[in-house]
Amino acid sequence: MADQMDDLMKSRMAQLEDYIMKNCLWQFHSRSWDRKVQNEGVLTRTMQILCGEPVANETPIDKCHWVDAVVLAEEFHRRCPWLAGMDKAEVKTLMGALREHMDYLTIDGSLNLELTDQHY
Amino acid sequence: MPYHEFECSKCIPERKKHAVIKGPGEDLTSALPLGYLNTIPGTISERGCAYCGAKHVIGTPMKDVIHLSHGPIGCTYDTWQTKRYISDNDNFQIKYTFATDMKEKHVVFGAEKLLKQNMLEAFKAFPHIKRMTIYQTCASALIGDDLNAIAQEVMDELPDVDIFVCNSPGFAGPSQSGGHHKINIAWINQKVGTVEPKAITSDYVINYVGEYNIQGDQEVMSDFFKRMGVQILSTFTGNGSYDDLRAMHRAHLNVLECARSAEYICNELRVRYGIPRLDIDGFGFEPLGNSLRKIALFFGIEERAQAIIDEETARWKPELDWYKVRLTGKKVCLWPGGSKLWHWAHVIHAEMGLDVVSVYTKFGHQGDMEKGISRCEEGALAIDDPNELEGLEAMETLKPDIILTGKRPGEVAKKIRVPYLNAHGYHNGPWKGWEGWVRFARDIYNAIYSPIHELSRLDISKDEIPGDKGFVTQRMLSDANLPEEVRNSATLREYTGKFDCLEALRHKTYPTFERKAAAAVAG
Amino acid sequence: MHCEIKDKERAGIINPIFTCQPCGAQFASIGIKDSIGIVHGGQGCVMFVRLLISQHLKESFELASSSVHEDGAVFGACGRVEQAVDVLLMRYPHVKVVPIISTCLTEVIGDDIEGVVRKLNEGLLPEKYPGREVHLIPIHTPSFVGSMISGYDIAVREFVKYFARKTEPSGKLNVITGWVNPGDVTALKHLLKMMDIDATVLFEIEAFDSPLMPEGNHVSHGDTTIEDLRGTANALGTIALNRYEGGKAAEYLANEFDIPTLIGPTPIGIRNTDTFLKNLKTLTGKPIPEKLVRERGIAIDALTDLTHMFFADKRVAIYGNPDMVIGLAQFCLDLEMKPKLLLFGDDNQGYKTDPRLLELAENVDYDMEIVTNADFWELENRIKEGLELDLILGHSKGRFISIDHNIPMVRVGFPTYDRAGLYRHPIVGYAGAIWLAEQMANTLFADMEHKKVREWSLNVW
Repeated sequence: MADQMDDLMKSRMAQLEDYIMKNCLWQFHSRSWDRKVQNEGVLTRTMQILCGEPVANETPIDKCHWVDAVVLAEEFHRRCPWLAGMDKAEVKTLMGALREHMDYLTIDGSLNLELTDQHY
Repeated sequence: MPYHEFECSKCIPERKKHAVIKGPGEDLTSALPLGYLNTIPGTISERGCAYCGAKHVIGTPMKDVIHLSHGPIGCTYDTWQTKRYISDNDNFQIKYTFATDMKEKHVVFGAEKLLKQNMLEAFKAFPHIKRMTIYQTCASALIGDDLNAIAQEVMDELPDVDIFVCNSPGFAGPSQSGGHHKINIAWINQKVGTVEPKAITSDYVINYVGEYNIQGDQEVMSDFFKRMGVQILSTFTGNGSYDDLRAMHRAHLNVLECARSAEYICNELRVRYGIPRLDIDGFGFEPLGNSLRKIALFFGIEERAQAIIDEETARWKPELDWYKVRLTGKKVCLWPGGSKLWHWAHVIHAEMGLDVVSVYTKFGHQGDMEKGISRCEEGALAIDDPNELEGLEAMETLKPDIILTGKRPGEVAKKIRVPYLNAHGYHNGPWKGWEGWVRFARDIYNAIYSPIHELSRLDISKDEIPGDKGFVTQRMLSDANLPEEVRNSATLREYTGKFDCLEALRHKTYPTFERKAAAAVAG
Repeated sequence: MHCEIKDKERAGIINPIFTCQPCGAQFASIGIKDSIGIVHGGQGCVMFVRLLISQHLKESFELASSSVHEDGAVFGACGRVEQAVDVLLMRYPHVKVVPIISTCLTEVIGDDIEGVVRKLNEGLLPEKYPGREVHLIPIHTPSFVGSMISGYDIAVREFVKYFARKTEPSGKLNVITGWVNPGDVTALKHLLKMMDIDATVLFEIEAFDSPLMPEGNHVSHGDTTIEDLRGTANALGTIALNRYEGGKAAEYLANEFDIPTLIGPTPIGIRNTDTFLKNLKTLTGKPIPEKLVRERGIAIDALTDLTHMFFADKRVAIYGNPDMVIGLAQFCLDLEMKPKLLLFGDDNQGYKTDPRLLELAENVDYDMEIVTNADFWELENRIKEGLELDLILGHSKGRFISIDHNIPMVRVGFPTYDRAGLYRHPIVGYAGAIWLAEQMANTLFADMEHKKVREWSLNVW
């Protein structure tokens, strides 16, 4: 997906990524399967919030992802005025790419040798 | 890979992969040092042992417990009175420490009898303390004493006591971190779920995890939680109570501060009891504000958090900014043990204007470096398991204005004229909370602009001795190049809090919040 | 009226007075120039001792660890020593002396340190470091034997044993200080200078109080050289100030090289300093000069201002390093005070026959207790049960007893991290007598004012 993005999208995604990496902690759980769940849980909900869609919020774990997503969405709005000008489809593309990239940064491309340890 | 090779470590090539400089365009997939590997002997590393990680870092901050180490006296003596984890019960855990005093005959013939005798003596000496943790040491681990069996025996004989066994000898892992892990897992396996909470007083119940009440941090944070009507069921472990921690399974949310030392128990609580883990930052205005908002959002009481954020920000922002304009551009080596490298890296830059030129971690894992490197600006030197010579080389190259590190490495920095603040025990903390963050900025300011520090660089045999001043104040040094409107700003001000900012908190009364009727009945 | 020397009755330790042997060996080893010790064991045994020393002296000292982890504990960790020696020598080209200090871990698993040293001496050193002077010195200090005191004692003996070589008589005197502060060494050297005696001071640690200079780096270290240690065999005599810290080395020199030797007394107070000077005179034949009579006079003058008015009958508890505790008790008695409780933090069987303690047992005319293998609970529990004290003398680890029970305390010994700069001041010699007495007096005065007890009496004295 990242290959199909133009430079503008790339730079916008980099802004979002930069905020997450500098300010958030949820993406750094200690094992790869947890990171997968965290990235999916928080970023999907962030995307839903940004698109004004309903957010799944049933279990305590869901809710915990949701609170990180709420604050993230607010910060994105605050720091990235261009978000307001994007339509839903664009936001979805952007957030999809972001999630893919976050998975790469924190899981698939990660150099952290402990991610695959089977125990906590 | 942008590894950084120290001149002093060229002769030990395996060190090369333990330091990186994150350059332009690089991210974690290209810049991450190795971590949490066995120490190279003889390097003069700064690491401690797994016993201290378990007993000293995590075990001992529990305030209503007899902390008994099963071994020779040294382990106990050496880890006693070297940290500042205070409590609101007159610091029992700081004042009293217990050793079984294992001697040669015990090593030969076994020390289980000695252990039992010790346990009975200790309960007798402190009849009001009914809880005990026994810590294994290298010696008792190697001779194979069965601590669990003795603990059970004593619990059978004294039905009103409860005993926790922590098997984490000094050699169990590359550093103190091995001990953090062992005690986390031992606690959840042995103790969590064995009692029910004394009282559930709120609809919103958390465990506050990975918080050690250094100089009162836990009490500062508790103040915010109480103002929000959130019940802290337990704190793992600073100012924490043994029985509260046995009831951790009844919280709705685990609020995790030092993930390095305590993420294990949060992960297990999530897996075993379905309690979610929320990682937070208690340091810095914005990170703390967002952290409180997330907790409040979780419970649907966002306005309560917002009220605190507004009040505290209004009260303390002018003071933080007074320091920020004076600290901007100053270079910092952020060299703590584990979690503070990422708790502080971004926010001392954003909120105090400091430039982090290096981060290191004594006992952290690669996960800590991932967080730390992400939060640093480009060009910062990241070092895993640093040693004495590398630290000196880094300071000589980077020329920091201040170093945030431990007490003894601070003495090393002193000798090359770099002021230091104690990153573990703090100088004049607490440093959490809004006021705490201003206290931190104040301490940094006082260190950097100390007139004595200025004098230390004058060579009276070679340099021109100024001779025109009878004294210099920090303001004379810090304000020399500030524009007039900043120097005499009507809105900014220096820290106005008290020397002891905890006393008032300990006597504070809190509003009662009405509980949801259905929940109250069910609960 | 009686005075008893007894063991603590409880098995365990509630708040230890001493730490274990490796700490003593480490403190001794930092007294040697161009030396970095390797502590063979877990990392905490070094990290915390370095912290402790830095708490006391507000300086950092270099000590290395062999960093034994789980695999080493299971399969043996001699290889860790080999690697540690190599890494240390590569990165610290000035290092010549490497004591290898054992711990409980490596003693229990039975690592053969002598074997490793032999191997290194035959292999690594000649092959990789030809021509470099390196001394690897095994020091056995299992933590479950003795205490930091015996660890220091053993280490000093091992250093002396390793280096001492009989050649030509040097005419010098060996002065083995025991576990003291830089300020004590300054005071001792002053007395030796006044007596015109050329002495080898073991250990020469004045530079532990090192400067913060405008240029460069100034790592604190001791100044006793290999030559100093070699020369101990050629001395005209040895004085060991302390029986339990350095006594073993003095005995070794006496037995091995027939060096006239006097052990003790610790020159704390006027009387012990007098005896110290007498001993110096005996061994060297040098007279005690008029200048020292005058110095002594200044001290006596200072003490006279304080004794009967303020010190008389003051009840004191004293704990810490044994020779120091005994010296302080003796000094207190000369000052008309009443040491009520002496605590020794280990089970050294020598205490029971120590002539100084027997002398106390025979002569004190009030109830006094001497407890060996003691912990701080022996002090605190007695206070809880009614022991009345006017003053506590001891190191900082006992600080909360003073704070919680409102008993004034003079910090003395090792470590004294909760007061500024005490390591800079002597407790030995006439200078030490003045410093100690005035510290005690001023501490009592501050307490009178703080508690408002006869504080008005200080208006005129």
